Amino acid sequence: MRPCLIAFVLGLCAAAQALGEVYQAPEAFVTEVFGTLPAPRVLWLSREMQAQASAILNHPPAVLRQRYWSDGAKSVWILEEIGKEELITAGFVVSQGHIDHVRVLAYRESRGQEVRDPSFLKQFSGAGLDQSDHLDRGIDGISGATLSVHAMERMARLALYFDRRSRD
Amino acid sequence: MPFRLRLIRTLRRWHARIGFAALIFFMLIAVTGVALNHGAVVGLDSRQGHSKWLARWYGLRHEEPRQAYRTASHLLVAANGRWLLDGSAVGEKMPRPLGLVEIGDLIVVGGESSLHVYRADGALIDRLESYALPRVPLKAIGAGEGELVVQTAARSFSSADVLNWRLGAPKVVAWSTPTPLAESDREAYAQRLAPGISFQRLLLDLHSGRFLGSLGPLFFDLVAIFLTILALSGAWMFLAPRLRR
Repeated sequence: MRPCLIAFVLGLCAAAQALGEVYQAPEAFVTEVFGTLPAPRVLWLSREMQAQASAILNHPPAVLRQRYWSDGAKSVWILEEIGKEELITAGFVVSQGHIDHVRVLAYRESRGQEVRDPSFLKQFSGAGLDQSDHLDRGIDGISGATLSVHAMERMARLALYFDRRSRD
Repeated sequence: MPFRLRLIRTLRRWHARIGFAALIFFMLIAVTGVALNHGAVVGLDSRQGHSKWLARWYGLRHEEPRQAYRTASHLLVAANGRWLLDGSAVGEKMPRPLGLVEIGDLIVVGGESSLHVYRADGALIDRLESYALPRVPLKAIGAGEGELVVQTAARSFSSADVLNWRLGAPKVVAWSTPTPLAESDREAYAQRLAPGISFQRLLLDLHSGRFLGSLGPLFFDLVAIFLTILALSGAWMFLAPRLRR
Protein backbone atom coordinates (compact mmCIF):
# COMPACT_ATOMS: atom_id res chain seq x y z
CA MET A 1 0.00 0.00 0.00
CA ARG A 2 2.71 2.44 1.06
CA PRO A 3 4.86 2.02 -2.10
CA CYS A 4 1.73 2.61 -4.22
CA LEU A 5 0.96 5.78 -2.29
CA ILE A 6 4.52 7.03 -2.66
CA ALA A 7 4.47 6.23 -6.38
CA PHE A 8 1.15 8.08 -6.73
CA VAL A 9 2.48 11.18 -4.93
CA LEU A 10 5.69 11.12 -6.98
CA GLY A 11 3.61 10.79 -10.14
CA LEU A 12 1.50 13.78 -9.16
CA CYS A 13 4.64 15.82 -8.44
CA ALA A 14 6.10 14.90 -11.84
CA ALA A 15 2.86 15.81 -13.59
CA ALA A 16 2.69 19.17 -11.79
CA GLN A 17 6.30 19.86 -12.74
CA ALA A 18 5.59 19.03 -16.38
CA LEU A 19 2.50 21.20 -16.60
CA GLY A 20 3.79 24.07 -14.46
CA GLU A 21 1.32 25.76 -12.18
CA VAL A 22 -1.73 26.56 -14.29
CA TYR A 23 -4.18 28.49 -12.13
CA GLN A 24 -6.80 29.37 -14.71
CA ALA A 25 -7.26 28.42 -18.34
CA PRO A 26 -7.06 31.46 -20.67
CA GLU A 27 -10.52 30.75 -22.13
CA ALA A 28 -11.98 30.68 -18.61
CA PHE A 29 -10.40 34.06 -17.88
CA VAL A 30 -11.80 35.55 -21.09
CA THR A 31 -15.23 34.06 -20.37
CA GLU A 32 -15.12 35.48 -16.84
CA VAL A 33 -14.43 38.96 -18.22
CA PHE A 34 -17.10 39.00 -20.95
CA GLY A 35 -19.59 36.49 -19.58
CA THR A 36 -19.15 34.51 -22.78
CA LEU A 37 -16.23 33.55 -25.00
CA PRO A 38 -16.24 36.00 -27.93
CA ALA A 39 -14.49 35.26 -31.21
CA PRO A 40 -10.84 36.28 -31.06
CA ARG A 41 -9.55 39.25 -32.98
CA VAL A 42 -6.02 39.69 -34.22
CA LEU A 43 -3.54 42.51 -34.21
CA TRP A 44 -0.92 42.09 -36.92
CA LEU A 45 2.36 43.57 -35.82
CA SER A 46 3.79 45.91 -38.43
CA ARG A 47 7.53 46.49 -38.52
CA GLU A 48 7.08 49.64 -36.48
CA MET A 49 4.97 47.80 -33.91
CA GLN A 50 7.50 44.98 -33.75
CA ALA A 51 10.22 47.54 -33.07
CA GLN A 52 8.22 49.16 -30.29
CA ALA A 53 7.26 45.79 -28.82
CA SER A 54 10.95 44.84 -28.88
CA ALA A 55 11.80 48.04 -27.04
CA ILE A 56 9.21 47.23 -24.38
CA LEU A 57 10.17 43.58 -23.99
CA ASN A 58 13.93 43.93 -24.53
CA HIS A 59 13.60 41.18 -27.11
CA PRO A 60 11.55 40.66 -30.28
CA PRO A 61 7.90 39.74 -29.76
CA ALA A 62 7.21 36.00 -29.81
CA VAL A 63 4.53 36.19 -32.49
CA LEU A 64 3.64 38.50 -35.36
CA ARG A 65 -0.11 38.04 -34.97
CA GLN A 66 -1.37 38.83 -31.49
CA ARG A 67 -4.77 37.44 -30.60
CA TYR A 68 -7.06 39.35 -28.29
CA TRP A 69 -10.69 39.55 -27.28
CA SER A 70 -12.75 42.70 -27.17
CA ASP A 71 -16.31 43.89 -26.79
CA GLY A 72 -15.44 47.41 -27.89
CA ALA A 73 -15.09 48.81 -24.39
CA LYS A 74 -12.77 46.28 -22.85
CA SER A 75 -10.03 44.19 -24.37
CA VAL A 76 -8.34 41.11 -22.99
CA TRP A 77 -4.75 40.21 -23.78
CA ILE A 78 -3.22 36.88 -22.86
CA LEU A 79 0.52 37.38 -22.88
CA GLU A 80 3.52 35.24 -22.04
CA GLU A 81 6.95 36.33 -20.94
CA ILE A 82 9.94 34.59 -19.41
CA GLY A 83 10.58 35.48 -15.79
CA LYS A 84 13.93 33.83 -15.21
CA GLU A 85 13.83 30.66 -17.26
CA GLU A 86 10.19 29.73 -17.75
CA LEU A 87 7.15 31.42 -19.23
CA ILE A 88 4.67 33.31 -17.11
CA THR A 89 1.19 33.48 -18.66
CA ALA A 90 -0.91 36.44 -17.59
CA GLY A 91 -4.25 37.90 -18.60
CA PHE A 92 -4.62 41.69 -18.84
CA VAL A 93 -7.97 43.45 -19.06
CA VAL A 94 -7.63 46.92 -20.55
CA SER A 95 -10.35 49.51 -20.49
CA GLN A 96 -10.09 53.06 -21.85
CA GLY A 97 -6.32 52.91 -22.06
CA HIS A 98 -5.84 51.76 -18.50
CA ILE A 99 -5.45 48.35 -16.94
CA ASP A 100 -8.67 47.19 -15.33
CA HIS A 101 -7.21 44.11 -13.72
CA VAL A 102 -4.50 41.50 -14.14
CA ARG A 103 -4.31 37.84 -13.31
CA VAL A 104 -1.44 35.37 -13.49
CA LEU A 105 -2.89 32.35 -15.31
CA ALA A 106 0.16 30.08 -15.28
CA TYR A 107 3.43 30.31 -13.39
CA ARG A 108 6.15 27.82 -14.23
CA GLU A 109 9.20 29.15 -12.39
CA SER A 110 10.28 27.38 -9.22
CA ARG A 111 10.40 30.64 -7.24
CA GLY A 112 8.65 33.99 -7.36
CA GLN A 113 5.02 32.86 -7.19
CA GLU A 114 4.35 35.96 -5.08
CA VAL A 115 3.58 37.82 -8.33
CA ARG A 116 0.25 35.97 -8.24
CA ASP A 117 -0.77 37.69 -5.02
CA PRO A 118 -3.73 40.06 -5.42
CA SER A 119 -1.90 42.58 -3.23
CA PHE A 120 0.86 42.74 -5.86
CA LEU A 121 -1.41 42.61 -8.91
CA LYS A 122 -3.73 45.37 -7.71
CA GLN A 123 -0.84 47.81 -8.21
CA PHE A 124 -1.48 47.48 -11.95
CA SER A 125 -5.15 48.44 -11.71
CA GLY A 126 -5.65 51.87 -13.24
CA ALA A 127 -2.14 52.01 -14.69
CA GLY A 128 -1.69 53.53 -18.13
CA LEU A 129 1.23 54.40 -20.36
CA ASP A 130 3.17 57.65 -20.31
CA GLN A 131 4.50 59.25 -23.47
CA SER A 132 7.53 56.95 -23.57
CA ASP A 133 5.34 53.83 -23.24
CA HIS A 134 6.36 53.20 -19.64
CA LEU A 135 3.81 52.60 -16.91
CA ASP A 136 2.64 55.89 -15.46
CA ARG A 137 3.23 54.59 -11.94
CA GLY A 138 5.88 52.66 -10.07
CA ILE A 139 5.33 49.01 -9.26
CA ASP A 140 6.76 47.87 -5.94
CA GLY A 141 9.09 44.93 -6.35
CA ILE A 142 9.03 41.65 -4.47
CA SER A 143 12.18 40.42 -2.82
CA GLY A 144 13.22 37.16 -4.49
CA ALA A 145 10.89 37.66 -7.45
CA THR A 146 12.56 40.61 -9.16
CA LEU A 147 12.71 39.05 -12.62
CA SER A 148 9.08 37.93 -12.45
CA VAL A 149 8.02 41.41 -11.37
CA HIS A 150 9.91 42.91 -14.30
CA ALA A 151 8.28 40.38 -16.65
CA MET A 152 4.84 41.39 -15.34
CA GLU A 153 5.67 45.07 -15.88
CA ARG A 154 6.82 44.41 -19.44
CA MET A 155 3.66 42.46 -20.22
CA ALA A 156 1.49 45.22 -18.72
CA ARG A 157 3.19 47.81 -20.91
CA LEU A 158 2.80 45.57 -23.95
CA ALA A 159 -0.90 44.97 -23.27
CA LEU A 160 -1.50 48.72 -22.99
CA TYR A 161 0.52 49.39 -26.14
CA PHE A 162 -1.30 46.68 -28.10
CA ASP A 163 -4.64 47.96 -26.87
CA ARG A 164 -3.80 51.46 -28.07
CA ARG A 165 -2.66 50.20 -31.45
CA SER A 166 -5.71 47.98 -31.84
CA ARG A 167 -7.87 51.11 -31.61
CA ASP A 168 -5.88 53.08 -34.21
CA MET B 1 67.52 31.14 10.63
CA PRO B 2 64.86 32.45 13.03
CA PHE B 3 61.63 30.43 13.24
CA ARG B 4 59.47 33.40 12.20
CA LEU B 5 61.50 33.92 9.01
CA ARG B 6 61.33 30.21 8.17
CA LEU B 7 57.57 30.26 8.73
CA ILE B 8 57.08 33.23 6.41
CA ARG B 9 59.28 31.64 3.72
CA THR B 10 57.34 28.40 3.97
CA LEU B 11 54.05 30.24 3.88
CA ARG B 12 55.15 32.25 0.86
CA ARG B 13 56.29 29.09 -0.95
CA TRP B 14 53.00 27.30 -0.29
CA HIS B 15 50.99 30.41 -1.03
CA ALA B 16 52.59 30.50 -4.48
CA ARG B 17 52.19 26.76 -5.07
CA ILE B 18 48.52 26.66 -4.05
CA GLY B 19 47.77 29.82 -6.00
CA PHE B 20 49.37 28.44 -9.14
CA ALA B 21 47.79 24.98 -8.79
CA ALA B 22 44.31 26.41 -8.32
CA LEU B 23 44.68 29.22 -10.86
CA ILE B 24 42.52 27.58 -13.54
CA PHE B 25 39.75 26.78 -11.08
CA PHE B 26 39.79 30.26 -9.53
CA MET B 27 39.52 31.73 -13.01
CA LEU B 28 36.70 29.33 -13.83
CA ILE B 29 34.79 30.21 -10.66
CA ALA B 30 35.34 33.94 -11.20
CA VAL B 31 34.34 33.95 -14.88
CA THR B 32 31.27 31.75 -14.40
CA GLY B 33 30.26 33.77 -11.32
CA VAL B 34 30.37 37.03 -13.26
CA ALA B 35 28.53 35.42 -16.19
CA LEU B 36 25.83 34.09 -13.85
CA ASN B 37 25.38 37.49 -12.23
CA HIS B 38 24.95 39.26 -15.53
CA GLY B 39 23.81 36.43 -17.79
CA ALA B 40 20.21 37.60 -17.95
CA VAL B 41 21.30 40.92 -19.46
CA VAL B 42 22.90 39.21 -22.45
CA GLY B 43 20.22 36.55 -22.64
CA LEU B 44 22.34 33.62 -21.48
CA ASP B 45 19.40 32.29 -19.47
CA SER B 46 17.31 31.77 -22.58
CA ARG B 47 20.02 30.30 -24.82
CA GLN B 48 20.82 26.65 -25.21
CA GLY B 49 23.96 24.81 -26.15
CA HIS B 50 23.52 21.87 -28.50
CA SER B 51 26.03 19.13 -28.88
CA LYS B 52 25.86 15.38 -28.93
CA TRP B 53 28.74 14.97 -26.47
CA LEU B 54 27.18 17.49 -24.08
CA ALA B 55 23.89 15.59 -24.25
CA ARG B 56 25.76 12.33 -23.58
CA TRP B 57 27.65 13.95 -20.68
CA TYR B 58 24.36 15.01 -19.11
CA GLY B 59 22.80 11.63 -19.80
CA LEU B 60 20.06 13.11 -21.98
CA ARG B 61 18.16 10.68 -24.14
CA HIS B 62 19.11 11.38 -27.71
CA GLU B 63 16.43 10.72 -30.26
CA GLU B 64 17.59 10.16 -33.83
CA PRO B 65 15.46 11.90 -36.46
CA ARG B 66 14.02 9.26 -38.76
CA GLN B 67 11.24 11.01 -40.63
CA ALA B 68 10.32 14.34 -42.13
CA TYR B 69 7.15 16.22 -43.06
CA ARG B 70 7.11 17.78 -46.49
CA THR B 71 4.97 20.17 -48.49
CA ALA B 72 5.64 21.32 -52.05
CA SER B 73 8.25 23.82 -50.87
CA HIS B 74 8.89 23.22 -47.17
CA LEU B 75 10.49 20.54 -45.03
CA LEU B 76 10.22 19.89 -41.31
CA VAL B 77 12.48 17.52 -39.37
CA ALA B 78 12.02 17.12 -35.61
CA ALA B 79 13.76 15.34 -32.76
CA ASN B 80 14.56 15.96 -29.10
CA GLY B 81 11.91 18.66 -28.81
CA ARG B 82 13.52 20.70 -31.57
CA TRP B 83 12.30 21.53 -35.04
CA LEU B 84 14.23 22.34 -38.18
CA LEU B 85 11.96 24.10 -40.65
CA ASP B 86 13.65 24.38 -44.04
CA GLY B 87 16.96 23.84 -42.28
CA SER B 88 16.52 26.56 -39.66
CA ALA B 89 15.92 25.89 -35.98
CA VAL B 90 12.59 27.43 -35.01
CA GLY B 91 12.39 26.80 -31.29
CA GLU B 92 13.16 24.80 -28.18
CA LYS B 93 10.90 22.54 -26.14
CA MET B 94 8.62 22.00 -29.11
CA PRO B 95 5.97 19.30 -29.16
CA ARG B 96 6.17 16.23 -31.37
CA PRO B 97 4.80 17.31 -34.75
CA LEU B 98 1.77 15.67 -36.33
CA GLY B 99 2.06 17.28 -39.69
CA LEU B 100 3.12 20.18 -41.88
CA VAL B 101 0.65 22.06 -44.06
CA GLU B 102 0.95 25.03 -46.39
CA ILE B 103 -2.05 27.31 -46.87
CA GLY B 104 -1.38 30.32 -49.04
CA ASP B 105 1.45 32.22 -47.36
CA LEU B 106 1.11 30.35 -44.09
CA ILE B 107 3.03 27.29 -43.01
CA VAL B 108 1.32 25.38 -40.20
CA VAL B 109 2.95 22.79 -38.01
CA GLY B 110 0.52 20.78 -35.94
CA GLY B 111 1.16 19.13 -32.60
CA GLU B 112 -1.19 17.14 -30.42
CA SER B 113 -2.43 20.23 -28.61
CA SER B 114 -1.01 23.19 -30.50
CA LEU B 115 -0.53 24.73 -33.91
CA HIS B 116 2.47 26.82 -34.87
CA VAL B 117 1.94 29.18 -37.79
CA TYR B 118 5.00 30.40 -39.67
CA ARG B 119 5.74 32.78 -42.48
CA ALA B 120 7.67 31.46 -45.49
CA ASP B 121 10.89 32.93 -44.04
CA GLY B 122 10.43 30.94 -40.81
CA ALA B 123 9.18 33.83 -38.65
CA LEU B 124 6.58 32.65 -36.13
CA ILE B 125 3.25 34.32 -36.85
CA ASP B 126 1.16 32.70 -34.15
CA ARG B 127 1.13 29.84 -31.69
CA LEU B 128 -2.29 28.42 -30.97
CA GLU B 129 -2.45 26.47 -27.73
CA SER B 130 -5.29 24.12 -26.83
CA TYR B 131 -7.63 26.93 -25.76
CA ALA B 132 -7.47 28.43 -29.27
CA LEU B 133 -8.22 25.13 -30.97
CA PRO B 134 -11.70 23.69 -31.54
CA ARG B 135 -10.83 20.38 -29.79
CA VAL B 136 -7.77 18.57 -28.53
CA PRO B 137 -5.98 16.29 -28.89
CA LEU B 138 -5.43 16.68 -32.59
CA LYS B 139 -4.94 13.45 -34.50
CA ALA B 140 -3.89 14.82 -37.88
CA ILE B 141 -3.72 18.00 -39.90
CA GLY B 142 -4.20 18.52 -43.60
CA ALA B 143 -5.24 20.99 -46.26
CA GLY B 144 -8.19 21.13 -48.61
CA GLU B 145 -9.68 23.89 -50.77
CA GLY B 146 -7.36 26.46 -49.26
CA GLU B 147 -8.32 25.64 -45.69
CA LEU B 148 -6.43 24.08 -42.82
CA VAL B 149 -8.19 20.96 -41.58
CA VAL B 150 -7.61 19.40 -38.16
CA GLN B 151 -8.83 15.95 -37.28
CA THR B 152 -9.77 15.24 -33.67
CA ALA B 153 -10.95 11.96 -32.18
CA ALA B 154 -14.53 12.41 -33.36
CA ARG B 155 -14.70 15.33 -35.77
CA SER B 156 -12.89 17.48 -38.28
CA PHE B 157 -12.69 21.26 -38.19
CA SER B 158 -11.58 23.68 -40.88
CA SER B 159 -10.17 27.17 -40.87
CA ALA B 160 -9.06 29.51 -43.62
CA ASP B 161 -7.20 31.90 -41.30
CA VAL B 162 -6.06 29.49 -38.58
CA LEU B 163 -8.09 31.53 -36.16
CA ASN B 164 -11.81 30.96 -36.65
CA TRP B 165 -13.00 27.37 -37.01
CA ARG B 166 -15.98 25.70 -38.60
CA LEU B 167 -17.16 22.17 -38.02
CA GLY B 168 -16.52 19.87 -40.98
CA ALA B 169 -13.95 19.45 -43.68
CA PRO B 170 -13.75 19.97 -47.43
CA LYS B 171 -14.54 16.91 -49.55
CA VAL B 172 -10.94 16.36 -50.48
CA VAL B 173 -8.29 16.74 -47.82
CA ALA B 174 -4.58 16.07 -48.26
CA TRP B 175 -3.52 14.85 -44.81
CA SER B 176 0.06 15.46 -43.84
CA THR B 177 1.98 12.25 -43.27
CA PRO B 178 5.64 11.71 -42.46
CA THR B 179 8.09 10.33 -44.98
CA PRO B 180 11.29 8.50 -44.01
CA LEU B 181 14.53 10.45 -43.97
CA ALA B 182 17.28 9.21 -46.22
CA GLU B 183 19.92 7.30 -44.24
CA SER B 184 22.57 9.74 -45.47
CA ASP B 185 20.65 12.73 -44.09
CA ARG B 186 19.98 11.29 -40.64
CA GLU B 187 23.42 11.92 -39.16
CA ALA B 188 23.49 15.54 -40.36
CA TYR B 189 20.04 16.20 -38.89
CA ALA B 190 20.95 14.35 -35.68
CA GLN B 191 23.89 16.73 -35.18
CA ARG B 192 21.70 19.77 -35.70
CA LEU B 193 18.87 18.45 -33.55
CA ALA B 194 20.99 17.37 -30.59
CA PRO B 195 19.26 18.00 -27.25
CA GLY B 196 19.98 21.36 -25.66
CA ILE B 197 21.35 22.38 -22.29
CA SER B 198 20.65 25.92 -21.16
CA PHE B 199 23.77 28.06 -20.79
CA GLN B 200 22.45 29.10 -17.39
CA ARG B 201 22.51 25.51 -16.20
CA LEU B 202 25.89 24.88 -17.81
CA LEU B 203 27.35 27.92 -16.04
CA LEU B 204 25.81 26.91 -12.72
CA ASP B 205 27.22 23.40 -13.03
CA LEU B 206 30.66 24.72 -14.01
CA HIS B 207 30.55 27.17 -11.11
CA SER B 208 29.54 24.57 -8.52
CA GLY B 209 31.61 21.71 -9.92
CA ARG B 210 28.55 19.58 -10.69
CA PHE B 211 29.63 19.50 -14.32
CA LEU B 212 32.30 17.01 -13.23
CA GLY B 213 29.76 14.66 -11.73
CA SER B 214 29.03 13.67 -8.15
CA LEU B 215 32.64 14.23 -7.00
CA GLY B 216 32.79 17.67 -8.65
CA PRO B 217 31.27 19.61 -5.73
CA LEU B 218 33.70 17.90 -3.31
CA PHE B 219 36.60 18.91 -5.54
CA PHE B 220 35.33 22.48 -5.65
CA ASP B 221 35.00 22.38 -1.85
CA LEU B 222 38.70 21.59 -1.83
CA VAL B 223 39.33 24.54 -4.15
CA ALA B 224 37.33 26.72 -1.75
CA ILE B 225 39.55 25.53 1.12
CA PHE B 226 42.60 26.42 -0.98
CA LEU B 227 41.17 29.87 -1.56
CA THR B 228 40.64 30.29 2.18
CA ILE B 229 44.22 29.19 2.86
CA LEU B 230 45.45 31.65 0.25
CA ALA B 231 43.49 34.48 1.82
CA LEU B 232 44.70 33.66 5.33
CA SER B 233 48.33 33.13 4.32
CA GLY B 234 48.24 36.30 2.24
CA ALA B 235 46.79 38.22 5.18
CA TRP B 236 49.43 36.77 7.48
CA MET B 237 52.27 37.71 5.13
CA PHE B 238 50.86 41.20 4.76
CA LEU B 239 50.13 41.84 8.43
CA ALA B 240 52.91 39.99 10.27
CA PRO B 241 55.78 42.36 9.37
CA ARG B 242 53.60 45.38 10.07
CA LEU B 243 52.48 44.09 13.45
CA ARG B 244 56.10 43.26 14.36
CA ARG B 245 57.13 46.83 13.61
